[in-house]
Amino acid sequence: MFSSVTVEDLGSDAPPVTLSVDSGLHVGGVILKLVEKTQIKRDWSDHALWWEQKQRWLLRTAWTLDKYGIHADARLVFMPQHKPLRLGLPNGITLRLRACFSSSVFQTVMGICRMLNIRHPEELSLLQPVEEKKKKKDKNSAEEIYDLTEVPLSSASRPCLYNGMPAHFADSPQMEAIYKMLSVTQPPPAPEVIAKQYRAASVVDKAHIHGRWLDSSRCLLQQGIQENSRLWLRFKYFAFYDMEPKYDVVRLTQLYEQARWAILLEDIDCTEEEMMLFGALQYHISKVSQSEPQMLSSSAAMDDLESALQSLEVKMEGESNDMSNVIVCFRPKRMTLKGYKQYWFKFQDTSISYFKSKEESIGEPIQQINLKGCEVAPDVNVTAQKFLIRLLIPAPEGMNEVYLRCENEQQYAQWMAGCRLASKGKSLADSSFQSEIQSIRSFLAMQKTSSGTHGNAPANDESINTHSLVSPRYHKKYKAKQLTPRILDAYQNVAQLSLTDAVMRFLQIWQALPDFGLSYVVVRFKGSRKDEVLGIGPNRLIRIDLAVGDVVKTWRYNNMKQWNVNWDIRQVAIEFEGNINIAFACVTADCKIVHEFIGGYIFMSTRSRAKSDTLNEELFHKLTGGHEAL
Amino acid sequence: MDDIDAMFTDLLGEMDLLTQSLGQETVPPAPLPSTDKEVNYSIGYADLNESLNELEDCDLDALMADLVADLNATEEKFAAQKEVLKVPSLPPPDLPPPPKGLSTHPASSLASPASPASSTSSNVSTPASSTASPLPPPPPQVPKPTKEEMEANIKADKIKLALEKLKEAKVKKLVVKVLMNDGSSKTLMVDERQTVREVLDNLFEKTHCDCNVDWSLVETNPDLQLERTFEDHENLVEPLSAWTRDSENKVLFQERGEKYEVFKNPQNFYLWKKDKNALKDMKDKDKELLIQENFCGTSIIVPDLEGVMHLKEDGKKSWKPRLFQLRASGIYYVPKGKTKSSRDLICFVQFDNVNVYYGKDFKGKYKAPTDFCFFLKHPQIQKESQYIKYLCCDDAWSMNLWVTGIRIAKYGASLYENYKTAEKAAVSSVWTNRSSSTPSSSNPSTPSPTIKAKSPSQANGHAPKPQQGPVSVDFGNVPPPPPPPPLSVFPHPTPPLAAKSSSKPAAPQRHLPTNFPPPPPAMDLLPPPPPPPNEDDALEAPPDFLPPPPPAIGFGSLPPPPTFNSPPLPPPPVSFRGVDQSLPPPPPDPGFLPPPPPQPMFTGAGAPPPPPPPPPPAAVPRAAIRPSGSVKKMPPAPPKRTTPSLQGGDGGDFMSELMLAMNKKRVH
Repeated sequence: MFSSVTVEDLGSDAPPVTLSVDSGLHVGGVILKLVEKTQIKRDWSDHALWWEQKQRWLLRTAWTLDKYGIHADARLVFMPQHKPLRLGLPNGITLRLRACFSSSVFQTVMGICRMLNIRHPEELSLLQPVEEKKKKKDKNSAEEIYDLTEVPLSSASRPCLYNGMPAHFADSPQMEAIYKMLSVTQPPPAPEVIAKQYRAASVVDKAHIHGRWLDSSRCLLQQGIQENSRLWLRFKYFAFYDMEPKYDVVRLTQLYEQARWAILLEDIDCTEEEMMLFGALQYHISKVSQSEPQMLSSSAAMDDLESALQSLEVKMEGESNDMSNVIVCFRPKRMTLKGYKQYWFKFQDTSISYFKSKEESIGEPIQQINLKGCEVAPDVNVTAQKFLIRLLIPAPEGMNEVYLRCENEQQYAQWMAGCRLASKGKSLADSSFQSEIQSIRSFLAMQKTSSGTHGNAPANDESINTHSLVSPRYHKKYKAKQLTPRILDAYQNVAQLSLTDAVMRFLQIWQALPDFGLSYVVVRFKGSRKDEVLGIGPNRLIRIDLAVGDVVKTWRYNNMKQWNVNWDIRQVAIEFEGNINIAFACVTADCKIVHEFIGGYIFMSTRSRAKSDTLNEELFHKLTGGHEAL
Repeated sequence: MDDIDAMFTDLLGEMDLLTQSLGQETVPPAPLPSTDKEVNYSIGYADLNESLNELEDCDLDALMADLVADLNATEEKFAAQKEVLKVPSLPPPDLPPPPKGLSTHPASSLASPASPASSTSSNVSTPASSTASPLPPPPPQVPKPTKEEMEANIKADKIKLALEKLKEAKVKKLVVKVLMNDGSSKTLMVDERQTVREVLDNLFEKTHCDCNVDWSLVETNPDLQLERTFEDHENLVEPLSAWTRDSENKVLFQERGEKYEVFKNPQNFYLWKKDKNALKDMKDKDKELLIQENFCGTSIIVPDLEGVMHLKEDGKKSWKPRLFQLRASGIYYVPKGKTKSSRDLICFVQFDNVNVYYGKDFKGKYKAPTDFCFFLKHPQIQKESQYIKYLCCDDAWSMNLWVTGIRIAKYGASLYENYKTAEKAAVSSVWTNRSSSTPSSSNPSTPSPTIKAKSPSQANGHAPKPQQGPVSVDFGNVPPPPPPPPLSVFPHPTPPLAAKSSSKPAAPQRHLPTNFPPPPPAMDLLPPPPPPPNEDDALEAPPDFLPPPPPAIGFGSLPPPPTFNSPPLPPPPVSFRGVDQSLPPPPPDPGFLPPPPPQPMFTGAGAPPPPPPPPPPAAVPRAAIRPSGSVKKMPPAPPKRTTPSLQGGDGGDFMSELMLAMNKKRVH
């Protein structure tokens, strides 16, 4: 018989190559003949035959054409298994790399993660991006694309590390720059960028996005993904296993980025207080990551000693330089209008004392106030030159309210820093005093610039527009300068964190949100006439009534006895302990996606330390594959 | 060596400075009430004399021995120090402390009274160990220390030693009267560094109770009609220092089932919405799973609580119903006419600066709708105030849900650590009780060593001192005639050690010169006995699970959530301590200035010395006290309002009072 094979490398216009073959010939033989005929000398090892009509790869070279059931009318394409893909990372940056188009998406993701040095690839998957038609035109040209297509496929086997990064990133400065992009958090985005992004307005919108996950058991080509297509690499299963900042630099960074965008785009709901804390953490992280080049620290123990010695030095000199002799004004509680009086203030350890005048400051103070455990709040308006520090000082009878009015920014920053430290029981001698002053000043600066330019100048690193740190809802609700004190307020609790700790804290707070880790599908429960939403979490399924928007039912996986998918009528049936049975059809997603989510989470929970590095792919496939796995 | 000496001279001068500032701290802040004008050494007593007289003989001995040992210790510390430094011997870096439950063992009881030598050496080791391992340079990290490194290390050693001493000098001690269930009371000396857990262990030894996890220290305040169970990781002295001078507050030693109920029956808190009958007979395995899920993951999960409670608004008399929600970040309420969506929630309170208290008989006192009330306030508030937030629940069950939920949000992982430690204490107590029935362990000697034996160990977190090494290492084997049962229980003494030291990173951390990064304690302390905990975990882990092939998959034996055995176990406790602003109440690291309490009514034995005389003896604050006060004067009432210069004298008064009390006892 004759078989015509299109050889992709000859160009799309080239006519198919026709071969005369025997149906008993094995696929390897076909390829051999084909290569001979093209008379092109090159490395064909990555190439394989793709059967277009059946949408399948002929990867078993020992199988005969007969066995595959291939006849003369079969349209075969000879092409490389690895093709370039435009991969959108959680941090919003697009990477061009060669991904495997012939193996299951699960394995493709494993390959990608190996190349990017992300451990636990089972937690990630590929998502088809939301339409970007409009943006494509104006943005595509400007967008910087990081190119990794030159990375030899072989090097992706077991990454050995040089300077803490995989060998292939150590090749050239360009590659190192890419690794830096992967492993260092991005600066806060301009508020307009946040505002422009697509935001899911409702659970149903989210359900539509969650319906775009690729099928892990089939390959990219089978799912209509073409060369140079755009896909998103995202964390899909929110069960993060064995987080180890030492080895997970890229993983942590990308997870942080995904979490940050989830917050900024209100993909997950949080309260205003939480938003301010997230904002403060973002500010802190972006600040620290600029000054701290590498997350990896040399040796914890040596660092300890170092910091101990360092702070000792600071203390020694700090001790002698108690902040005093600054004049501030003061108003004790109760509204005695215009109640500000001028006193001579002295700051010592964690207390402030005040005197009638400087001359009397040698004697007994009028009053001494210990600030430990007190609440410190700013009341500042830079344009009006108002620099108030509001202190709520605990006492047996309740809290005493005291205001300190500073004359200028400089004085305010110092005293504010002192009060904040003292409230946490630290004296001015503490090593963080200077950095506290610095951060207060930079927040003041933010207030100045943001009121002036209305946030058009994107971050000249000293002053970040606070609108870059919160979701658009708060852009409307607050002016940037109104946000500043609120974020600063939250900031005082995190200002001391190291970069890694701050990132971890961000992730923890994110994970503690009530809706964390939920993926949604619109479903129709058996016997019900209305659409409802099924939320799939790391440890449970929830049923959400769309009308009320409330969780009406929760089922936990560990009460689950079995689940089935009837692929013919595309219905998922689940049985829980206590004879609870539910069944539903999926509206916004294929039921394979739901099946994969449930099986995937079960799989995630089977990972244990004993099995350490080896990923039980077979088990994953069994749990998520559906009928393909049979 | 010259520069080191110079440095010491500096340090001494430094210490002088510090002590002077200590004096200033004791000036009570004026806005505070007049109740705190006097210096107080005791809790629960009208005056010091009474408290001293109430001390049991053995306690008194212990107290005395403690103080005397301190004096000697500090003196000898300096003497010993040179040798120590010359021989930078590497003690096994991570030797665990002797197990708590075992301290009745003779080996550890030798610790104190008449052996200043032993306490000396343990004191010497204090600085090194308290800085969590880096100090005696652990071999792996410094394979071949260069000469400079060696010198640097020695220098650092010295500095830390000196820092430690500075701290020692300011350690506050309180005599605390603890009321027992039967109306009797015990009197304890509590050091400001001691955690509630340590005090409880101490009480276990004194009372011979069954040591179960429910035993708690409870604070009551009749003015506010409040009750609060101290958390085991808290330092006891701090909250007690907030009491007013004239307060009728009490410390009770009681079994409180609700303290750790969440770990015994997590389903009642995490699945409270479910059918209560179904929850009753939940399998242990599922309970375990719930705990793992919520306490052992990368983030602590707070129970999902929502419900109507009555709120007594700032200073108002009426109680108004409101729909409240608990989140990790605080309590929120749903404003009228708004949805329950997160962004509409109004923050009612965050937990950084408040503790949660049970209110007693609020129906009578505040006309609350029910008696199931709790409230949140700053720990310093001792009287009625508009800053106290009162809430009233429909029933006891939901009140417990809320209070426990708030504690989880506030304390996070420490709560679970506390529970595990308490459990181990309970288990090892079984063991100790058994062995104490054998003739060899002498009870009379028990109480006295406790203070001594404990304070070093709690200051250190672990005892790296070589001499002690063998003792604690051999511990499991040495015990006189180990009866058969212990063998089976034997594994326990070891894990507790590891867990003990790693479970309270807060304690060692407090003694670090500054804000050390938190991770080291947990990670560094873990190595020595690594297998036991893991094995435990592994045993309970579900190796039996092999997911059968789909489509029908049986989940009778579902595996635990991924986090179960997860290696990040060490990191979480550390990082969680800070999560969601739910920092543990004591400020994480007071730096090397243990910050003065807002109302410094109590000053401990470590009153500062007069000016800085020549190095060795003068650097020893306690040594300075002895000459000044030991035998001379009759004790005047605790002096009012101190000034720096008076400070030394105070210490002396305290000492002489103590001596007097002792003599009295002896005469009788």
